[in-house]
Amino acid sequence: MATTSPPGVGLLKGLGVTIKQMFKPAVTQQYPHVKPDLPPRTRGVIALMDENCTVCMLCSRECPDWCIYIDSHKETVPPAKEGGRARTRNVLDRFAIDFALCMYCGICVEVCPFDALFWSPEFEYSEYDIDKLLHEKGKLREWMDTVPPPPALDEGADAPGEVATAIEKANQELEAAKAKAAEEARAKEQGEQAPAAGDAAAAAPAEPEVKAGEIDQETFDRLIAEGKSERIARSKAKAAYVKKEKQRLKEQAEQQAAAAPAAEEPKVEAGEIDQETFDQLIAEGKSERMARAKAKAAYVKKQKAKLRAEAEQAGGGDAVEAPAAEGSGEAAAGEAAPSAAPRKADIEVEGAGEIDQETYDALIASGKSERIARSKAKAAWVRKKKQEQMDAEGDA
Amino acid sequence: MTGHDLAFLVVALVTGGGALLTVTSKNLVHAALFLAVTLSGIAGVFLVLAADFVALVQLVVYVGAVAVLFLFGLMLTRAPIGREALDNQNRGLGIAVSGGLFVVLSVLVIGAFGGTTAAEVGGPRVGDIGMVIFNTWVLPFEVLSMLLLAALIGAILLARRETGDSGEEQAPTRIDMGTAPSMEAERMARLEGGDDQAELTAGGDPGPAAGRGEGRA
Amino acid sequence: MSIAEMANAAAGLAQFSPAPSLLEIGDSFWLSAVLKIAVVLAVFFVVPLVVGYMEHKVMGHQQARLGPMEAGPHGSLQLVADGIKFIQKEDLIPSAADKWVFAIAPGVAMVPAILIFLVLPLGPGIWGVDFELGLFYALAVGSVTTLGILMGGWASANKFSLIGGLRAAAQLIAYELPLILAGIAVALQAGTLSLVGIVEAQSTFFIPGTEINLWYLFPQILGFGIFFIAAMAELARPPFDMPIADSELVFGYMTEYTGIKYAMYMLTEYAGMVSMSALMVVLYLGGWQLLPGVPMPGCGGSGNIFDCNALGVGLGVAVTLGKIMLLTFLMVWARTTYPRLREDQLQRFSWLVLVPLSLLNLAIIAVAKGVF
Ligand code: SF4
Ligand code: SF4
Repeated sequence: MATTSPPGVGLLKGLGVTIKQMFKPAVTQQYPHVKPDLPPRTRGVIALMDENCTVCMLCSRECPDWCIYIDSHKETVPPAKEGGRARTRNVLDRFAIDFALCMYCGICVEVCPFDALFWSPEFEYSEYDIDKLLHEKGKLREWMDTVPPPPALDEGADAPGEVATAIEKANQELEAAKAKAAEEARAKEQGEQAPAAGDAAAAAPAEPEVKAGEIDQETFDRLIAEGKSERIARSKAKAAYVKKEKQRLKEQAEQQAAAAPAAEEPKVEAGEIDQETFDQLIAEGKSERMARAKAKAAYVKKQKAKLRAEAEQAGGGDAVEAPAAEGSGEAAAGEAAPSAAPRKADIEVEGAGEIDQETYDALIASGKSERIARSKAKAAWVRKKKQEQMDAEGDA
Repeated sequence: MTGHDLAFLVVALVTGGGALLTVTSKNLVHAALFLAVTLSGIAGVFLVLAADFVALVQLVVYVGAVAVLFLFGLMLTRAPIGREALDNQNRGLGIAVSGGLFVVLSVLVIGAFGGTTAAEVGGPRVGDIGMVIFNTWVLPFEVLSMLLLAALIGAILLARRETGDSGEEQAPTRIDMGTAPSMEAERMARLEGGDDQAELTAGGDPGPAAGRGEGRA
Repeated sequence: MSIAEMANAAAGLAQFSPAPSLLEIGDSFWLSAVLKIAVVLAVFFVVPLVVGYMEHKVMGHQQARLGPMEAGPHGSLQLVADGIKFIQKEDLIPSAADKWVFAIAPGVAMVPAILIFLVLPLGPGIWGVDFELGLFYALAVGSVTTLGILMGGWASANKFSLIGGLRAAAQLIAYELPLILAGIAVALQAGTLSLVGIVEAQSTFFIPGTEINLWYLFPQILGFGIFFIAAMAELARPPFDMPIADSELVFGYMTEYTGIKYAMYMLTEYAGMVSMSALMVVLYLGGWQLLPGVPMPGCGGSGNIFDCNALGVGLGVAVTLGKIMLLTFLMVWARTTYPRLREDQLQRFSWLVLVPLSLLNLAIIAVAKGVF
C-alpha cells in the first residue's frame, strides 16, 4: 500500500466511519407500518382500462411469457350513416394476466396502441396459492384507480397528441365560424348595394379548396434531392401541400376575423377542466384520473359550444346553425356561395345520444331488443336532424 | 466408603472405560475422542487427589491441545468424514503388548508406593509447586525444556523437508511440461529468485529442482 | 515437613485463602451450591441475550438499518423469540452424520462456556468460587470448547463443516498462546492467579507516591490489546470468523446444525463474548471498581472494594456488567468495521505478530516487576 499515513490509521478511520454512521438516522422503511414511497413509474402491477381495449391482441401476442389471456366476440354495429355498411366490433369478454408468469417486462404496456394498459405502483397482491395470481378483467380494472396521473410535461413541451388535436380542432372551428360571420357581415353590407350573392362571393378573397392530388413542388424537389424514393417524396410533398394550404386558409380567415366585429377570442386551453363535471364524477365514486379526463373532455366540448354560440351572435343572429368547418375552407366557401347546395356530409349534428322516440317505440313494438332499438333510434334521430338542417339551409 | 472414594471410583471408571474404548473402537476419530475422555478422566483423578493445578494442566495440555491436535491431524489427513470405520487385524498383538505393559507398570508402581498411606488428601499449592520447580528442580526442568526445543526443531525439520531424504515419502508428482520448457524454466527462476509468492507456498512445495531430482533418484 | 511447608518456609509465602463469596448460605454446602449454580446459569443465559440484542441494534445502526423492531419494544425480545423458534424446530441429523458425536458436540462446546462463569467475579462477593487458579482455570476450561467445535465439524459429514471445524481448531490453537501469555503477564504483576486476587491487586497498585490506584490497563496496554484481539479470534468473532466464513463455508462447523443444537453453539459464542469480556474486565479494567483512584461507595476492606453493603454490591455488579457491555460493544464495532481476514493472514498474524509481542510484554512486565 502506498499510503503515507502510519499503519493503523486506516483501521481507526474505519472505526470512525462506522461509529459516525451509528448516529445517523437509519434508512430503513418500516414497511407494513409505513407504506413505501414508490416512484411514480414503479412497475407494481398492470392495470387495464377495459373501455379502451379493442381486443387487438397485440399485448397478448407480444408478451414474452404468454401470460395474457384474452377472449372476445364480434358484434355488429349498425351503420353510422344511412346507406353505410354495418360494421363489426370486438367486444372484450375476458382479459386476464397471470402474474405468476409475468416478468414485469412492460412490453404489453408499451405495445398497447389504445392506452388500455397501465403500470400501477400497487404491489400488495401476493397470495398463498400460485393459482390465485391469475387476475381477471374486473381486478385489473380496479387497479386502474391506483394508476397515478402521468407526470407533468416539461415546460415548453408540446401538448400530448390527443389534446393538441382537440385544441386545434376547436380553434379551427372557432376561426372558421368567425370567418363565416365576417363574410356574412360583409356580404350584408355589400348586399345592400348589390344584392347578388354571387358578387359578394366574387368580392370575397379567392378561397381555393385544398385539392387532393396536388403536391408541394418545393418539398418534392428537396426530398428527391435528398435521395428519397419518388413514392415517399410524393406522399410527403402531398402532405406538405395540404398543410401549407390549410395554413394559408387559416391565415386568411384570421385576417378576416380581425376585421370582423367579434373581438372576443377565448381559446380552448389544454389542461382546463370542467369543475362541475369533475365534482359530479368524483361524487359518483370514479377515480380522480378518470374524472379529470372526462372533465377535460367536457370542458373542451362546452368551450366549443360557447365559441360557436358567440360566433353566431357575431354573425348577426343568423338563424342558420353554423356548420362545422372540418379543417377545410369548404364550408366557408360554400357559405359564400349559397347557390351551391350544402352536402349532407358537411353537416354535423350536435347532441349524439339523443334518440328518435318514434322510431324507438316502433322498433320495440316490432319486438326488437332494447339495445338494437336504441341504436337504430339514435341513427334515425341523427338522420332527421340532418335533414332538418339541410332544409333550413335550403330555405336560406 | 467415603465421598472421596466414591468420586475416585466414578472418575476411575470413566477413565478406564474411555481407555478401553479408545483401543477397541473401530473408528479412528472415535478412538481419539475416547482418548480425550480418558485424559479428562485423568484430570478428574488429579482433582480427586486435590492436585488442582496438575488437573488443570492435564486439561489444558492434554485435552485442549494434545487431543485436539490428534483430531486435527486425523481429520486433516485420513479421517473419513462421518461414520466409516477403519480397522486393522492386529488385535492379538495389541492385547499382548498392552497387557504386558499393564502388568509391568502395576508391579513397579505397587512396589514403589504400595506401602504409602496418605492421612489426608491435600495437594501442594501452585506457589509451592513453582517454588519447588524453580529452586530445587530447576536443572531437570531446564533439561526438559531442551527436550521440547529439540522436538520443536525436529518437527520443523520434518515439516519442511527440503532435501527429500526422510524416507518413504514420495516426491510429488511432477507435471510433465512436454516440449514447452519456457514455463518450467520461468517457474524455476521464480522459485530460485526467492520470489515472495514462492516463499509463501514453500511448505508444500517440492522445493528447488535439485532436491526434487534427488528424491526421485 | 511437607513439600508445601518446605517451600513456604523458603519463600515466606502466605498460604492462599479464598475470599468468601456472598453466595454462601451459612455452612450449608448444598444450599450455597444450588444458589451459585442458579446465579451462574442466570448470568449464562441472560447476559448473552442482552449482548446479542446490543449486537443486533449496534450492527443495524452502523449499517444504516434499524435492526430488529418487531418482537417486543424496539425488538428487544427478538432473541427470546429466536430461542423459542429454535426450540420448536425439527432436530435434523444428516443421515451420513456420526449421530452420537453430532449430538453431544454442542454440549461439549457449551458446558465449558458455562463452567467459566463459576470463577468470574461480577461484583464484590458475587462469584461462584474464588479459585486460587482462577485465571488458569478459565483459560484451561475454555480450551475444551475447541473439542466440541472440532467434533461438530467432523461429525456433520459435510466438507464445509469439516473445513470449518479444522479452521476453528487451528485458530484456537494459534490464539490460545498469545491469550495465555498476555494473561500470564497480568498474573505475574498481580502475583496471583486468583481472579478476585487480581482485582484486589489492581485496587492496591498505586501510582508511586500517591493514593491513586491504577488498573492494569495502563501499564499493560499492549497486553490488553493482545488479549482483546486474541479473545476475538478465540471466539471466532468477525473479523476472525474464518471457521464460520459464511461466504466461503456456508456456516462452517454449524452448517448442518438446526434447532436447539444450533442455539447451543450460538449461545456458546455469545457466552464466550461475555466471559472473555468479563475476564478482561477483571484482568485489565479493575473489576467492579468504578474508576481508577475512586473508592467504591459503601465498601471497605482491601483497596476499599471489599466488605460492601447492599449499595456497594449492586453498584459493583452494575459496573462490571457495564464494562462487559462496553467491551462487547467494541467487539461488535470491530465486527461491522473490518472485513474478514484470510486464513493464512490469520495464522501469520498470530505467530509472527501477537506471540512475539506478548512475549515482549511478558518480558517487560517481568523486568519491571523485578526492578520495582
Ligand atoms: S409485463 Fe411482460 S410478461 Fe408481464 S404481461 Fe406484460 S408483456 Fe407479459
Ligand atoms: S394491446 Fe391494448 S387494445 Fe390491444 S388487446 Fe391488448 S390491451 Fe387491448
